Amino acid sequence: MPAATSVAISLRDVSAAFRSPEGADVVAVRCIDLEVRPGELLTLLGPSGCGKTTTLRMIAGFQEPSGGEILIGDRDVTRVPANRRDIGFVFQSYALFPHLTVHDNVGYGLRVRRRPSAEIQAAVDEVLTLVGLEGMAKRFPGELSGGQQQRVALARAIVIRPRVLLFDEPLSNLDAKLRVEMRTEIQRLQRTLGITTVYVTHDQEESMAISDRIAVMNKGRIVQIGTAEDLYRRPASVFAASFLGRANILAGIVRDSDDGGVTLDVRGIPLRFLCDKPYPAGTALCAVVRPETIGIGKDGPLPGEVISRMYLGEKIEYVVHVARLVLQIVRYGAPEDDGFSPGERVGVTLPASCVQLFAAGD
Amino acid sequence: MKYAAIGLRLRGDPLRWVVIAGIWLLLFLFVLYPLGCLIARAFTDQGGVTFASVAATLTNPNHLRALRNSLILATLVGAIGTLAGFLFAFTAERTDLTHRVRRLLDFAALLPLISPPFTTSIAFVFSFGPKGLITHDLLGLQNAQVYGWNSTVAAEALTYFPLAFLALRPLIASIGNDLEEAAYSLGGSRWQVFRTVTLPLCLPGIANAFLLLFAASLADFATPLILAGNNLPVLPTDAFLQITGMFDLKGGAVLSLLLLVPAALVFFTQRWLTGRRSYVTITGKGGARPQAAKVARWLRCLLWAACIGLAAFIGYLYALLVYASSVVAFGANSAPTLEHYRVIFTEGIPAIKDTLIIALISMPLGGLYGVVVGYLVGRMRFAGRQALELVSMINYALPGTIVGIGYLIAFNDEPLAITGTAAIIIACYVFRYSPTGTRTTVALLAQVDRSIEEASFSLGAGTLTTFRRVMLPLILPAFFAGLGAVFIRAMTAISATIFLVSINWTLITVRILENMTELSLGPAAAFSVFVIAVVVVVTSVLDLVLGRMMGGTLQPSALRT
Amino acid sequence: MAGKQATAGRTVGRARQDRLTRRAFVASSLATLLTARAKAADTVKAYSIWPENYARPMMEAFEKASGIHVNFIRFSSGEALARVVAEKNNPQVDVLFGGPVETFTAGQGQGVFEAYKPAAWSELPARFKDANGLWTAIADDPLVFMSNTQFLAQHNLYAPASWDDLLDPAYSGMIQMADARTSGTAVTRIFSILQVHDRNEDEAFAYMKKLRKNVQVYTKSGGGGTLPVGLGQAGAGIFFIVDALFTRQKGYDVQISFPREGIGSAAECIALIKGAKNPDAGRKLIDWATSPAMQSLLAPNKINFIPAHPAVKPDPALAAVLAGAKIIEIDDTWAGANRQRIIERWIAEVLNAS
Repeated sequence: MPAATSVAISLRDVSAAFRSPEGADVVAVRCIDLEVRPGELLTLLGPSGCGKTTTLRMIAGFQEPSGGEILIGDRDVTRVPANRRDIGFVFQSYALFPHLTVHDNVGYGLRVRRRPSAEIQAAVDEVLTLVGLEGMAKRFPGELSGGQQQRVALARAIVIRPRVLLFDEPLSNLDAKLRVEMRTEIQRLQRTLGITTVYVTHDQEESMAISDRIAVMNKGRIVQIGTAEDLYRRPASVFAASFLGRANILAGIVRDSDDGGVTLDVRGIPLRFLCDKPYPAGTALCAVVRPETIGIGKDGPLPGEVISRMYLGEKIEYVVHVARLVLQIVRYGAPEDDGFSPGERVGVTLPASCVQLFAAGD
Repeated sequence: MKYAAIGLRLRGDPLRWVVIAGIWLLLFLFVLYPLGCLIARAFTDQGGVTFASVAATLTNPNHLRALRNSLILATLVGAIGTLAGFLFAFTAERTDLTHRVRRLLDFAALLPLISPPFTTSIAFVFSFGPKGLITHDLLGLQNAQVYGWNSTVAAEALTYFPLAFLALRPLIASIGNDLEEAAYSLGGSRWQVFRTVTLPLCLPGIANAFLLLFAASLADFATPLILAGNNLPVLPTDAFLQITGMFDLKGGAVLSLLLLVPAALVFFTQRWLTGRRSYVTITGKGGARPQAAKVARWLRCLLWAACIGLAAFIGYLYALLVYASSVVAFGANSAPTLEHYRVIFTEGIPAIKDTLIIALISMPLGGLYGVVVGYLVGRMRFAGRQALELVSMINYALPGTIVGIGYLIAFNDEPLAITGTAAIIIACYVFRYSPTGTRTTVALLAQVDRSIEEASFSLGAGTLTTFRRVMLPLILPAFFAGLGAVFIRAMTAISATIFLVSINWTLITVRILENMTELSLGPAAAFSVFVIAVVVVVTSVLDLVLGRMMGGTLQPSALRT
Repeated sequence: MAGKQATAGRTVGRARQDRLTRRAFVASSLATLLTARAKAADTVKAYSIWPENYARPMMEAFEKASGIHVNFIRFSSGEALARVVAEKNNPQVDVLFGGPVETFTAGQGQGVFEAYKPAAWSELPARFKDANGLWTAIADDPLVFMSNTQFLAQHNLYAPASWDDLLDPAYSGMIQMADARTSGTAVTRIFSILQVHDRNEDEAFAYMKKLRKNVQVYTKSGGGGTLPVGLGQAGAGIFFIVDALFTRQKGYDVQISFPREGIGSAAECIALIKGAKNPDAGRKLIDWATSPAMQSLLAPNKINFIPAHPAVKPDPALAAVLAGAKIIEIDDTWAGANRQRIIERWIAEVLNAS
């Protein structure tokens, strides 16, 4: 299937305000600017209520923005109704038409566009093969499994060759294994077709796996945009750091700083971190330390006690108390390595580098 | 975070506005205008507004008595009927009835709903009067009086309890196992659990059923006409008599307006009740109930006996009807004969033909109209949506006498003089009985995930295409429910349409009344049996067609993925 | 190939057009059918206050005699008049057929009739016609007492021969008679009682209040109580002779009697509706009904009205029943003038007293 000419999506100063059922005015999205590059898969990631679904629905045309403009390609679609924006939308609940067969479901958009039946037949067959559902054309949605329904929803959205593909948490109703399988599929398809895609999810692993770029959202704003690596390694805020991946947030006061580093007093424990910015003594800082960068062993600079241990096959997760600090530690180990038991005394090594420092309040 | 009731807004979709405007026009013509004419007639005299006649009526002790009686009657019927309906529903759902017995109960409960008026009343007169089959022949009582409170309450309760049964049954069925299991696991006894868990959950439904019956009794014109006697004046019958006996159209108008107030109160209370979030979860998983939850054996037998007894009594009443239709002269000559059926199929043919034509035309019109309004009201968001819904329900909520008199006054003169035509009767049926279809549509739509319509829009379809290709097939059951409801009512209605028959178009129910007053009981009974037979056949056909259409494609589970 | 497709397209187009025109035709004829009201010129429409089984044979005979089809529908007297009055601006029928005179005098007051003196006008006595020709009588119908034989036997009673007989406590709750709000029978009965008491209204109403105690129910239609009396559900009642004899003819065991103080009768009338759409056909019907042509058919059809036209002799059996009965005359003009007031008084003092 030849790729349609990829277009960019632009959101300029877009806001969305609602009236909730109880009558309160809620601002779901505040003045966001977003540029989705042609052909890329951009994920909107964030916790419940951050505004990511609302943003997606505004791009689709299901929700009218209360301010700002939305452009698809060069066209201002802010006031254009959903059925004229040439989009493909995959719903969380799949939204398959229960009274139509798979063939009719997938061909619906083409039928609405008045294509001749022969063309519809060919296109539907082609796309069903593409998503791995050959032979299912005559079935009804009620007869399909969750994963199969998902594929039908996907097929239906792409067969019309939209300029833009929008996904609203499409995998959240699937079990874990299927989720992993399907996300790879979606990524593969998107790369093949080259359609500009916006993908909404709250699952950060999923977003990291498939996206070209991720936009982390919180409370109606975009907190940071970047590749997965950018966001993981160089989070722009404590929120971003803790949302993408797990993090230990160590809040402390600067005791002193010198060339190349700073010593933080974290709950009475002096910890030194490398950094290239000098901080005056007394500044409140948060250090973000990833669990897999913390060392744990029989001996180590910081004495601690294992509080809990979770054996997860390829890794073991610990919660360790070091004085008054509670640290999450992940250790990827060899199969024979039993690790440490709860109650055991261990030594913890905190890394000096690979740590993000933020002024309190970031 | 989902916000409820945020409808779909399609800017610049002109079709939507055309349809809405059209519906408003229809509503104005056939709901608001007649009501307005009725009020105007009551309050004007020789061209000037006056309260004199209204005041005279309001202070007339007889009319006040009628009002008081109507309210008391409605309360009693509501209470007794709801109780009976609850017992029936509880027995049907909770006492492990065999499939056969359950069907029997269903059918017995259905009969009063699809019968023409007077069936219960006639049977009562013949069973409980001074020479009644039951009072005199069976129990040997002398001079038993059948006219009055007891019979009227009993007959109305019998006629309307199926409404409560139908309303409460799905409610009881849907109370999830988990809630009661939790209560048992915490140590409650059967009675305690019933009292503290089951009953409270049913309470909104019970209240709703009570109101349904209250409204039905309030509007009932036929039963009191036969059974109330002269010591029990009630409003709808008095309004009718005022017009047809005293040729006092204005007086009749005023009396029927008195009914408006309680009817409106009931209507708004019901809306409030059903609008509140119901805390009965409709995810009741079927399946075996835990042993502890089953009803005690003695209680089960008692309930069975009560319900089967009631069903048997209903059966007896209808058997009496069939008997009356097939003997020469009830009570005097019990020689079997088909003469009465011959009469209804020869002399009664115009009435049969007229009724069927009108019913068959009203059916699709009412069904379609109900679905369109239901879709507008249940799914779209537009200015005045709530008002539209309210107005569309008015003719349904009002007692038939009000609607009938209003139509008579409004459409006798220009600009829309359609008295004496079939159109006026069809209009009456469509706007009075389609709200059933509307309500079912709205309920069904609530179960359809909104994203299905959005999916259709995202694929490029407009409002009309989406409605036609996606929504209509999904709400087909509601459409059929609407069809059935309009047809049944079209065959059995009398309180509104008795004012609307004419030299050109007459109805079977009116003929039944005429026959009753002429004491030709044979033909009256024969007509009634005929109506019941036709209704049963048509609704069975509708069920069958719907079942065929739905088979295999519309599993309920697929409606909400 | 293209040509074939083109013709196919055109044929399809034409088929579609045909379908559309056919549908339009069906729709429009249906619409006309449903809203049509006026019928062909050789039809006359009437509201009949006479029951179906009396009116039908008469109408059929008229059709045979004149070739004019009669389209009628039966209503009780109150309903029929209410309709005629309501339809004043747009009359739906041409003739009001049958029904007691008091209905017609009331209608006269509402101005719904058109004067027409039928061919037999001069032959009819004064009480059988309105001076201005607004209505004419076609029959006479005396009131009677009808009682159930078994009931009488059980209570050791003779058939009631006086108005006061009906006050006997044995009849408590066992008498049925008509409701004056809806039935002309009741109005005639009330005026008979008034006449018997020499128009002393207080006396008459005192009697009716006493009688009320024995009444089981006031029926909507005049003959509504005949079946209950026939079945024994009620013991006795006051009805027009035509209904009482009909009950006896059906096989019910009942007795007919008359009060010695006298009892009234009501003329059954016919009138032309003002503004009728087919006045000529209506006049023909009135001519026929007021003449021996129709009234000689009453006896053979076992319809127990006394013919109004003096040239027609009543059925011998009917005459036998009436032998010795004291039928008193009620002044229809006076009755018409006071009808509303008397009925309202009856409703207030008798019906609703309990």
